Amino acid sequence: MKLTGIGASEGIAVGPAFVPATGKPEPERTRIGEDEVEAGLQSFESAVEAVAGKLSKTADELRDSGNEDEADIFEFHAEMARDPELASAVEERVKSLKSPEAAVIAAGEEYAAEFAAMDDEYLAARADDVRDVTGQISAQLMGHAASGFEALEEPSVVLARSLAPSDTARIKEGMALAFVTAEGSRTSHVSIMARSRGIPAVVGVGSALESVLDAKMVAVDGTEGAVITDPDHETVAEFERLSGKLAEESAALDEYRHVEASTSDGRRIEVAANLGSASEAEAALEWGAEGVGLFRTEFLFMERDELPSEDEQYEAYTAVARAFSEKPVTIRTLDVGGDKDLPGVDQGHEDNPFLGWRGIRMSLDTPNLFKPQLRAILRAAVHGSLKLMFPMVADVGELKAAKKMLHKSREELEEEGFEIGEVQTGVMIETPAAALCAAELAGQAAFFSIGTNDLVQYTLAADRGNERLRGLQNADHPAVLALIRHTCEAAQGAGIPVGVCGEAAGDPAIIPKLLSLGVTELSMAAPSIPRAKKVVSSL
Amino acid sequence: MAERETTVGPEEGIHGRPAARILKAARGFSSQVVLVKGDREVNAKSIIKITGLAKKGEKITVRAEGEDAEQAVDALAQLISADEH
Repeated sequence: MKLTGIGASEGIAVGPAFVPATGKPEPERTRIGEDEVEAGLQSFESAVEAVAGKLSKTADELRDSGNEDEADIFEFHAEMARDPELASAVEERVKSLKSPEAAVIAAGEEYAAEFAAMDDEYLAARADDVRDVTGQISAQLMGHAASGFEALEEPSVVLARSLAPSDTARIKEGMALAFVTAEGSRTSHVSIMARSRGIPAVVGVGSALESVLDAKMVAVDGTEGAVITDPDHETVAEFERLSGKLAEESAALDEYRHVEASTSDGRRIEVAANLGSASEAEAALEWGAEGVGLFRTEFLFMERDELPSEDEQYEAYTAVARAFSEKPVTIRTLDVGGDKDLPGVDQGHEDNPFLGWRGIRMSLDTPNLFKPQLRAILRAAVHGSLKLMFPMVADVGELKAAKKMLHKSREELEEEGFEIGEVQTGVMIETPAAALCAAELAGQAAFFSIGTNDLVQYTLAADRGNERLRGLQNADHPAVLALIRHTCEAAQGAGIPVGVCGEAAGDPAIIPKLLSLGVTELSMAAPSIPRAKKVVSSL
Repeated sequence: MAERETTVGPEEGIHGRPAARILKAARGFSSQVVLVKGDREVNAKSIIKITGLAKKGEKITVRAEGEDAEQAVDALAQLISADEH
């Protein structure tokens, strides 16, 4: 039988079906006697403490290892376990002689139904969070684990109505070949986790799932969102062929993950990752990142009510510096413009935000924005090997002014008694002006990093966001290559390295040209790293 | 008793991180604090109840009763309306 759902995590798998023991824990007793009420309420209280404590601990561990998004989920669950409304709903039921384990399930179902009825996909998905948490409290009351995953002992395709974080956390490494769920969307926890672990997943197949729960074998195509239960020989052969091909491709690249790539004429090329937050560090290291060529800091400033404090920034930069220890991490100072709002900064209206008050221009004009960031980077540099670069530079005067502010921040920190680290200062080459003035800039900078995405947009006068101009989003254009050549020559003259941190850095077709022009470092989305190392090694 | 009407500011409405911030703030006061939207009145110290209560741009009334009612209403009204443009 064939089911169709949402392809939430790419990849192909064929394997035996595993259906976890029903997600709904069955209360052992539903009623209690008058004389058991007091003890029932007390045991509920201690079960809440035990479950909430465990959840908070998991959240802390995740946060320490930089997994902010997953940590938020577990913290949310801990808050739900401790919820005063849940407690009074349970209390009320226990007082009318319901057993606490049945009462907490019933209260959970009531709240879950409220969430499920909401017209927002994200909120409706919170129904599963409530069931997950109340299920755990109930199981705690009955003295056993809530999950039915103990029995999963051979690699299998997991079929379930839905999968909660507490479920997926209990699945042993390598035991889940794929996930298929009746409910869910691309933003469900199971989808996020499946993608981050590279496990194929098809979610939202609907009630059709119930009719296939007795299947022996399941074939899953997480790219197409297709599920075939008890497939015939031909289908199995086809899936195995596809899966073999994908595995071969990625295995062939796997051996390149941790090589130090050099060209055949002996030039060592450092291959690094572009990161948007510290939580991506671990995955990037696994892909073989030799450092971070571009650490974007925008995530710290977006979707919030006030600017992040120096200390908050210090924590974030320290997290990424520690994760990479001696490997270099290049932090780009804030690069936003009128296309995004910034709390507490009046950006006014701009007709052309990409040609407007952004990047280093805004930073220099707004010391209360720029200085805390510089100070935080200097302080965090104690914990690793940090570099610093300025975006959107068009004039050597901007670089000088920024370095002056950096110098001043250093002096102030020293006076205040802070420990600070060594930080190399570089410039992003992403305006044609910076490329053409590269010789002048090289005299003031320890390194260059070419941001090809913006350099292409500004050189070809072609908006990156305009679909009709896609043909012009091309780093392979002679004008762009000429500017890169000019930049590399200036860098060589001054004896400083040149990296590339745009999409072109991970493009197998362009890498050979970049290297022949004199680029010494490539930084890209982490999953592209093995392929880029292979391309470099073949040159 | 103190109360004030305010407009939800955060882009995502009351859930996720804004909800967590509101919860934390509410727990800091000894007063009973409720959020009222239309005919729904919920305990501001309950994450289950406040999650999804309102979207950006919707009106909410913060009402508090207790020793620090004034401060509670001030703090929560400000948090709920934050991010507003």
